[in-house]
Amino acid sequence: MQSRRHTPETEDHGIDLAPMLDFVLNLLIFFIITTSFIKEAGITVIKPPALTAENRESGNILIAIRENGEVWMDRRQVDIREIRTMIERLHIERPDDTVVVVADRESHAGVVADVMDEVRQGGIKDISIAADPGGEG
Amino acid sequence: MRMRRHTQEQHESSHGIDLAPMLDFVLNLLIFFIITAIFVKEFGLIVNRPTSFEQSNEKSESIAIEILDTGEIFVDNRVVDARAVRANVERLHAVNPESGVLILADADAPTGILVEVVDQVHLGGIWNITFSTNE
Repeated sequence: MQSRRHTPETEDHGIDLAPMLDFVLNLLIFFIITTSFIKEAGITVIKPPALTAENRESGNILIAIRENGEVWMDRRQVDIREIRTMIERLHIERPDDTVVVVADRESHAGVVADVMDEVRQGGIKDISIAADPGGEG
Repeated sequence: MRMRRHTQEQHESSHGIDLAPMLDFVLNLLIFFIITAIFVKEFGLIVNRPTSFEQSNEKSESIAIEILDTGEIFVDNRVVDARAVRANVERLHAVNPESGVLILADADAPTGILVEVVDQVHLGGIWNITFSTNE
């Protein structure tokens, strides 16, 4: 069986692998595409606990707010005024995107409100505030 | 080339051995992407922001909850504990089942308190929550 691999025609391999590789590569492409959809914020914050938090599987743009008011999006710190243009661009690329604002429990509500307003002006209306469902209510 | 496949069709295992090196690589990639896809699940609370349109015909019977920068919570102009918000909302919800909740937070109020209040209002049975801040 090993000797077959040394045949001069390399196309043999491709034809042998076809059915299973088609399936596996399709799966692979699917997962690569779905992961790249998600715009991670780039930092971790301590989320406030809430018992009634729903699973936001479609939430794929994450905007993090640190306790000192820094706003992080797409793995870098951004100015609040930048968010609108970034959201506009992402909204044109994929209109189904939704936003999850991941705010630290010590961050100020005013910053959260400003970020939500900027996102809405950027064209995305589906916004939610992240919470930790496991915590005490 | 198709002929060759038929000659070896008897041995099912021969396919597996041929696939090994490339499949190892591809399956590793696949597992990597499956795992990273699971990592980014987010749990969230949906709250509305008032638009200028909604503000103009804001229903007068909505329940107002205020949050001060110190974290104190006011329901109906009375200070209440965060854990008592649920009972208050349940009572007001029973009086007027169609009313929504308007949360008026100070700009410096901690988000943790805000989320706790939203959670309590949800537990009290109202899911129509509008969140506004006074600068």
